[in-house]
Amino acid sequence: MLKSLLIVDDSPVARMIIKKCLPAEHGLQIYEAGNGQEGVEQYRTHNPDLTLMDLTMPIMNGFEAVEHIRGLDPEAVIIVSTADIQEKVIQRVKDLGALYTMKKPPSKKSLTEALERGAEAFAQVQK
Amino acid sequence: MNAAAEEVFSSEEKDILQEVMNIAFGQATAELAEVIDIFVILSVPNIKVVKGRDLPGYFINEMDGSSVVNLIEQNFLGKFSGQAMLIFPSGAEKELIKLFNQENAEGTYDVDIDTLEQETLIEVGNILIGACIGKITELLSDFVTYDPPRLVVQDLAESSPSHFPVDEDSFAISIRTVFRFEQQNVEGYLFLITKQRSIKWLKKALQSFLESFM
Repeated sequence: MLKSLLIVDDSPVARMIIKKCLPAEHGLQIYEAGNGQEGVEQYRTHNPDLTLMDLTMPIMNGFEAVEHIRGLDPEAVIIVSTADIQEKVIQRVKDLGALYTMKKPPSKKSLTEALERGAEAFAQVQK
Repeated sequence: MNAAAEEVFSSEEKDILQEVMNIAFGQATAELAEVIDIFVILSVPNIKVVKGRDLPGYFINEMDGSSVVNLIEQNFLGKFSGQAMLIFPSGAEKELIKLFNQENAEGTYDVDIDTLEQETLIEVGNILIGACIGKITELLSDFVTYDPPRLVVQDLAESSPSHFPVDEDSFAISIRTVFRFEQQNVEGYLFLITKQRSIKWLKKALQSFLESFM
Protein backbone atom coordinates (compact mmCIF):
# COMPACT_ATOMS: atom_id res chain seq x y z
CA MET A 1 0.00 0.00 0.00
CA LEU A 2 1.29 3.42 -0.94
CA LYS A 3 1.84 5.92 1.83
CA SER A 4 3.46 8.83 0.00
CA LEU A 5 3.38 10.49 -3.40
CA LEU A 6 5.75 13.05 -4.92
CA ILE A 7 4.28 15.21 -7.71
CA VAL A 8 6.91 16.90 -9.89
CA ASP A 9 5.48 19.45 -12.31
CA ASP A 10 6.38 23.06 -13.06
CA SER A 11 2.72 24.01 -13.35
CA PRO A 12 0.87 24.63 -10.07
CA VAL A 13 -2.37 24.04 -11.99
CA ALA A 14 -1.16 20.63 -13.19
CA ARG A 15 -0.26 19.69 -9.61
CA MET A 16 -3.67 20.88 -8.42
CA ILE A 17 -5.46 18.88 -11.15
CA ILE A 18 -3.57 15.73 -10.14
CA LYS A 19 -4.56 16.22 -6.51
CA LYS A 20 -8.20 16.82 -7.50
CA CYS A 21 -8.24 13.63 -9.57
CA LEU A 22 -6.87 11.42 -6.80
CA PRO A 23 -9.41 9.02 -5.31
CA ALA A 24 -11.26 10.37 -2.28
CA GLU A 25 -9.68 9.44 1.05
CA HIS A 26 -6.46 8.34 -0.62
CA GLY A 27 -4.59 8.88 2.64
CA LEU A 28 -1.32 9.69 0.89
CA GLN A 29 1.28 12.05 2.23
CA ILE A 30 1.81 14.35 -0.76
CA TYR A 31 5.02 16.20 -1.59
CA GLU A 32 5.36 18.64 -4.48
CA ALA A 33 8.22 19.96 -6.60
CA GLY A 34 8.23 22.66 -9.30
CA ASN A 35 11.01 21.32 -11.52
CA GLY A 36 13.21 18.26 -11.95
CA GLN A 37 15.96 19.52 -9.70
CA GLU A 38 13.55 20.20 -6.85
CA GLY A 39 12.04 16.79 -7.54
CA VAL A 40 15.39 15.08 -7.04
CA GLU A 41 15.91 17.01 -3.80
CA GLN A 42 12.42 16.15 -2.55
CA TYR A 43 13.00 12.52 -3.44
CA ARG A 44 16.29 12.50 -1.53
CA THR A 45 14.61 14.07 1.52
CA HIS A 46 11.32 12.15 1.64
CA ASN A 47 11.97 8.91 -0.27
CA PRO A 48 8.32 8.73 -1.51
CA ASP A 49 6.70 5.44 -2.45
CA LEU A 50 5.59 6.77 -5.84
CA THR A 51 6.67 9.73 -7.98
CA LEU A 52 4.60 11.34 -10.75
CA MET A 53 6.96 13.16 -13.08
CA ASP A 54 6.26 15.77 -15.77
CA LEU A 55 8.77 15.89 -18.63
CA THR A 56 8.89 19.42 -20.03
CA MET A 57 10.13 21.57 -17.19
CA PRO A 58 12.64 24.39 -16.74
CA ILE A 59 15.96 24.02 -14.88
CA MET A 60 15.93 20.21 -15.06
CA ASN A 61 13.57 18.29 -17.32
CA GLY A 62 11.80 15.06 -16.43
CA PHE A 63 14.17 12.81 -18.40
CA GLU A 64 17.13 14.06 -16.38
CA ALA A 65 15.20 13.93 -13.13
CA VAL A 66 14.14 10.30 -13.69
CA GLU A 67 17.77 9.43 -14.43
CA HIS A 68 19.00 11.21 -11.29
CA ILE A 69 16.38 9.64 -9.04
CA ARG A 70 16.97 6.16 -10.41
CA GLY A 71 20.68 6.80 -9.86
CA LEU A 72 19.97 7.59 -6.20
CA ASP A 73 17.52 4.72 -5.82
CA PRO A 74 17.43 2.06 -8.57
CA GLU A 75 14.11 0.80 -7.18
CA ALA A 76 12.34 4.16 -7.25
CA VAL A 77 8.83 3.82 -8.68
CA ILE A 78 8.25 6.66 -11.14
CA ILE A 79 5.34 7.24 -13.50
CA VAL A 80 5.83 9.90 -16.16
CA SER A 81 2.90 12.24 -16.76
CA THR A 82 3.07 14.08 -20.07
CA ALA A 83 0.99 15.28 -22.99
CA ASP A 84 3.83 14.42 -25.36
CA ILE A 85 3.34 10.71 -25.91
CA GLN A 86 5.61 10.18 -28.90
CA GLU A 87 6.78 6.57 -29.15
CA LYS A 88 10.37 7.68 -28.72
CA VAL A 89 9.45 9.58 -25.58
CA ILE A 90 7.69 6.54 -24.12
CA GLN A 91 10.65 4.32 -24.98
CA ARG A 92 13.18 6.79 -23.60
CA VAL A 93 11.49 7.11 -20.21
CA LYS A 94 11.09 3.34 -20.06
CA ASP A 95 14.80 2.90 -20.78
CA LEU A 96 15.51 5.31 -17.94
CA GLY A 97 13.55 3.08 -15.59
CA ALA A 98 10.14 4.75 -15.34
CA LEU A 99 7.20 2.38 -14.86
CA TYR A 100 5.07 3.79 -17.68
CA THR A 101 3.82 6.99 -19.28
CA MET A 102 0.44 8.47 -18.33
CA LYS A 103 -1.20 10.88 -20.76
CA LYS A 104 -1.98 14.47 -19.72
CA PRO A 105 -4.40 15.85 -18.74
CA PRO A 106 -5.10 13.16 -16.16
CA SER A 107 -8.53 11.92 -15.14
CA LYS A 108 -9.82 10.21 -12.00
CA LYS A 109 -9.59 6.93 -13.92
CA SER A 110 -6.01 7.41 -15.08
CA LEU A 111 -4.89 8.52 -11.61
CA THR A 112 -6.58 5.53 -9.97
CA GLU A 113 -4.78 3.26 -12.44
CA ALA A 114 -1.49 5.05 -11.72
CA LEU A 115 -1.89 4.47 -7.98
CA GLU A 116 -2.79 0.80 -8.51
CA ARG A 117 0.12 0.12 -10.84
CA GLY A 118 2.42 2.17 -8.64
CA ALA A 119 1.35 0.19 -5.56
CA GLU A 120 1.99 -3.12 -7.37
CA ALA A 121 5.45 -2.04 -8.45
CA PHE A 122 6.23 -0.69 -4.98
CA ALA A 123 5.13 -3.97 -3.37
CA GLN A 124 7.41 -5.87 -5.75
CA VAL A 125 10.49 -3.87 -4.79
CA GLN A 126 9.68 -4.25 -1.09
CA LYS A 127 9.89 -8.05 -1.33
CA MET B 1 4.85 35.92 -17.85
CA ASN B 2 5.75 39.59 -18.10
CA ALA B 3 4.50 42.76 -16.40
CA ALA B 4 1.93 43.57 -19.09
CA ALA B 5 0.31 40.21 -18.45
CA GLU B 6 -0.47 41.37 -14.93
CA GLU B 7 -2.87 43.91 -16.43
CA VAL B 8 -4.75 41.28 -18.39
CA PHE B 9 -4.74 38.03 -16.40
CA SER B 10 -5.03 37.15 -12.75
CA SER B 11 -2.37 34.95 -11.26
CA GLU B 12 -4.67 31.92 -11.39
CA GLU B 13 -5.62 32.59 -15.03
CA LYS B 14 -1.96 32.83 -15.99
CA ASP B 15 -1.24 29.47 -14.37
CA ILE B 16 -4.19 27.81 -16.11
CA LEU B 17 -3.25 29.32 -19.48
CA GLN B 18 0.31 28.07 -19.06
CA GLU B 19 -0.88 24.54 -18.28
CA VAL B 20 -3.36 24.52 -21.20
CA MET B 21 -0.50 25.52 -23.50
CA ASN B 22 1.81 22.89 -22.00
CA ILE B 23 -0.76 20.17 -22.65
CA ALA B 24 -1.77 21.47 -26.08
CA PHE B 25 1.77 21.80 -27.36
CA GLY B 26 2.76 18.44 -25.89
CA GLN B 27 -0.14 16.64 -27.53
CA ALA B 28 0.46 18.48 -30.80
CA THR B 29 4.10 17.38 -30.72
CA ALA B 30 3.09 13.75 -30.33
CA GLU B 31 0.59 13.94 -33.20
CA LEU B 32 3.05 15.76 -35.40
CA ALA B 33 5.74 13.18 -34.79
CA GLU B 34 3.28 10.48 -35.81
CA VAL B 35 2.31 12.28 -39.02
CA ILE B 36 5.83 13.04 -40.21
CA ASP B 37 7.56 10.16 -38.42
CA ILE B 38 10.23 12.45 -37.01
CA PHE B 39 11.11 12.98 -33.36
CA VAL B 40 10.16 16.55 -32.46
CA ILE B 41 11.25 18.38 -29.33
CA LEU B 42 9.31 21.42 -28.13
CA SER B 43 10.39 23.87 -25.45
CA VAL B 44 8.16 24.93 -22.55
CA PRO B 45 5.75 27.46 -24.11
CA ASN B 46 6.55 30.99 -23.06
CA ILE B 47 3.53 33.28 -22.75
CA LYS B 48 3.80 37.04 -22.88
CA VAL B 49 1.41 39.94 -23.29
CA VAL B 50 2.82 42.51 -25.70
CA LYS B 51 1.57 45.90 -26.92
CA GLY B 52 0.78 45.88 -30.64
CA ARG B 53 3.33 48.58 -31.36
CA ASP B 54 6.09 46.54 -29.71
CA LEU B 55 5.57 43.35 -31.69
CA PRO B 56 8.30 43.72 -34.39
CA GLY B 57 11.03 44.42 -31.83
CA TYR B 58 9.65 41.70 -29.60
CA PHE B 59 9.98 39.09 -32.36
CA ILE B 60 13.59 40.01 -33.14
CA ASN B 61 14.45 39.90 -29.46
CA GLU B 62 12.78 36.51 -28.98
CA MET B 63 14.65 35.11 -31.98
CA ASP B 64 18.07 35.94 -30.59
CA GLY B 65 18.53 38.84 -32.98
CA SER B 66 17.87 37.08 -36.33
CA SER B 67 15.80 39.46 -38.39
CA VAL B 68 15.74 38.01 -41.93
CA VAL B 69 13.32 35.13 -41.72
CA ASN B 70 10.90 32.84 -43.51
CA LEU B 71 7.57 33.55 -41.92
CA ILE B 72 4.55 31.33 -42.46
CA GLU B 73 1.43 33.05 -41.26
CA GLN B 74 -2.06 31.68 -40.92
CA ASN B 75 -5.18 33.27 -39.48
CA PHE B 76 -7.45 31.23 -37.27
CA LEU B 77 -11.04 32.23 -36.66
CA GLY B 78 -13.33 31.21 -33.83
CA LYS B 79 -14.08 32.44 -30.35
CA PHE B 80 -10.31 32.14 -30.04
CA SER B 81 -9.11 34.13 -33.06
CA GLY B 82 -5.78 35.44 -34.13
CA GLN B 83 -2.74 34.81 -36.23
CA ALA B 84 -0.21 32.01 -35.98
CA MET B 85 3.29 32.80 -37.13
CA LEU B 86 5.85 30.11 -37.67
CA ILE B 87 9.29 31.63 -38.13
CA PHE B 88 12.40 29.93 -39.44
CA PRO B 89 15.72 31.72 -39.69
CA SER B 90 16.74 32.23 -43.31
CA GLY B 91 18.42 29.09 -44.68
CA ALA B 92 16.42 26.60 -42.60
CA GLU B 93 14.33 25.70 -45.65
CA LYS B 94 17.22 23.68 -47.11
CA GLU B 95 17.49 21.56 -43.96
CA LEU B 96 13.73 21.07 -43.90
CA ILE B 97 13.73 19.73 -47.45
CA LYS B 98 16.29 17.09 -46.42
CA LEU B 99 14.12 16.21 -43.45
CA PHE B 100 10.92 15.80 -45.43
CA ASN B 101 12.40 14.19 -48.51
CA GLN B 102 14.66 11.59 -46.94
CA GLU B 103 14.00 9.05 -49.67
CA ASN B 104 15.31 11.64 -52.12
CA ALA B 105 18.38 12.71 -50.17
CA GLU B 106 20.46 12.95 -53.32
CA GLY B 107 18.61 16.15 -54.09
CA THR B 108 17.11 15.58 -57.54
CA TYR B 109 13.62 16.93 -57.71
CA ASP B 110 10.86 17.19 -60.30
CA VAL B 111 10.14 20.83 -59.50
CA ASP B 112 12.55 23.72 -59.19
CA ILE B 113 14.22 24.07 -55.84
CA ASP B 114 12.71 27.46 -54.98
CA THR B 115 9.21 26.11 -55.42
CA LEU B 116 10.03 23.01 -53.39
CA GLU B 117 11.51 25.11 -50.58
CA GLN B 118 8.42 27.31 -50.46
CA GLU B 119 6.03 24.38 -50.56
CA THR B 120 7.95 22.57 -47.84
CA LEU B 121 7.86 25.62 -45.56
CA ILE B 122 4.13 26.10 -46.12
CA GLU B 123 3.39 22.43 -45.47
CA VAL B 124 5.45 22.37 -42.28
CA GLY B 125 3.60 25.49 -41.19
CA ASN B 126 0.24 24.01 -42.00
CA ILE B 127 0.93 20.85 -39.98
CA LEU B 128 2.51 22.54 -36.97
CA ILE B 129 0.05 25.41 -36.70
CA GLY B 130 -2.95 23.15 -37.21
CA ALA B 131 -1.75 20.67 -34.57
CA CYS B 132 -1.08 23.35 -31.95
CA ILE B 133 -4.17 25.50 -32.50
CA GLY B 134 -6.34 22.41 -32.84
CA LYS B 135 -5.25 21.11 -29.44
CA ILE B 136 -5.70 24.47 -27.71
CA THR B 137 -9.22 24.91 -29.04
CA GLU B 138 -10.10 21.29 -28.26
CA LEU B 139 -9.03 21.73 -24.64
CA LEU B 140 -11.02 24.96 -24.41
CA SER B 141 -14.08 23.57 -26.22
CA ASP B 142 -13.87 25.93 -29.17
CA PHE B 143 -13.84 25.31 -32.89
CA VAL B 144 -11.79 27.34 -35.34
CA THR B 145 -11.48 27.63 -39.08
CA TYR B 146 -8.31 28.64 -40.86
CA ASP B 147 -7.31 30.84 -43.75
CA PRO B 148 -4.73 29.22 -46.03
CA PRO B 149 -1.14 29.66 -44.80
CA ARG B 150 1.02 32.27 -46.52
CA LEU B 151 4.77 32.36 -46.82
CA VAL B 152 6.49 35.70 -46.44
CA VAL B 153 10.23 36.18 -46.62
CA GLN B 154 10.72 39.16 -44.42
CA ASP B 155 13.18 41.34 -42.62
CA LEU B 156 11.54 41.78 -39.23
CA ALA B 157 13.64 44.86 -38.57
CA GLU B 158 11.79 46.60 -41.40
CA SER B 159 8.28 45.36 -40.59
CA SER B 160 5.80 47.80 -39.16
CA PRO B 161 3.35 47.12 -36.35
CA SER B 162 0.51 47.48 -38.89
CA HIS B 163 1.59 44.17 -40.39
CA PHE B 164 0.20 42.38 -37.35
CA PRO B 165 -3.51 41.84 -36.63
CA VAL B 166 -3.49 43.89 -33.47
CA ASP B 167 -4.09 47.61 -32.94
CA GLU B 168 -0.92 49.39 -31.93
CA ASP B 169 -2.38 50.29 -28.55
CA SER B 170 -4.01 46.91 -27.93
CA PHE B 171 -2.46 43.97 -26.20
CA ALA B 172 -1.61 40.75 -27.97
CA ILE B 173 -1.02 37.46 -26.20
CA SER B 174 2.10 35.89 -27.61
CA ILE B 175 2.71 32.22 -27.03
CA ARG B 176 6.15 31.22 -28.17
CA THR B 177 7.69 27.79 -28.38
CA VAL B 178 10.94 26.66 -29.94
CA PHE B 179 10.78 23.30 -31.68
CA ARG B 180 13.65 21.19 -32.84
CA PHE B 181 13.77 18.17 -35.12
CA GLU B 182 16.15 15.61 -33.70
CA GLN B 183 17.51 14.34 -37.03
CA GLN B 184 18.35 17.79 -38.37
CA ASN B 185 19.61 20.86 -36.67
CA VAL B 186 16.56 22.97 -37.49
CA GLU B 187 14.96 25.26 -35.00
CA GLY B 188 11.80 27.22 -35.56
CA TYR B 189 9.68 29.55 -33.50
CA LEU B 190 5.94 29.44 -33.24
CA PHE B 191 4.07 32.53 -32.10
CA LEU B 192 0.33 32.68 -31.63
CA ILE B 193 -0.95 36.22 -31.53
CA THR B 194 -4.50 36.52 -30.32
CA LYS B 195 -6.62 39.60 -30.46
CA GLN B 196 -7.85 41.52 -27.49
CA ARG B 197 -11.44 40.61 -28.25
CA SER B 198 -10.56 36.94 -27.68
CA ILE B 199 -9.24 37.63 -24.21
CA LYS B 200 -12.67 37.94 -22.56
CA TRP B 201 -13.70 34.59 -24.01
CA LEU B 202 -10.34 33.06 -23.14
CA LYS B 203 -10.66 34.02 -19.48
CA LYS B 204 -14.03 32.26 -19.25
CA ALA B 205 -12.78 29.22 -21.15
CA LEU B 206 -9.81 28.89 -18.79
CA GLN B 207 -12.11 28.82 -15.77
CA SER B 208 -14.31 26.20 -17.45
CA PHE B 209 -11.25 24.09 -18.19
CA LEU B 210 -10.25 24.10 -14.54
CA GLU B 211 -13.80 23.45 -13.31
CA SER B 212 -13.98 20.34 -15.51
CA PHE B 213 -11.58 18.66 -13.07
CA MET B 214 -13.55 19.59 -9.93
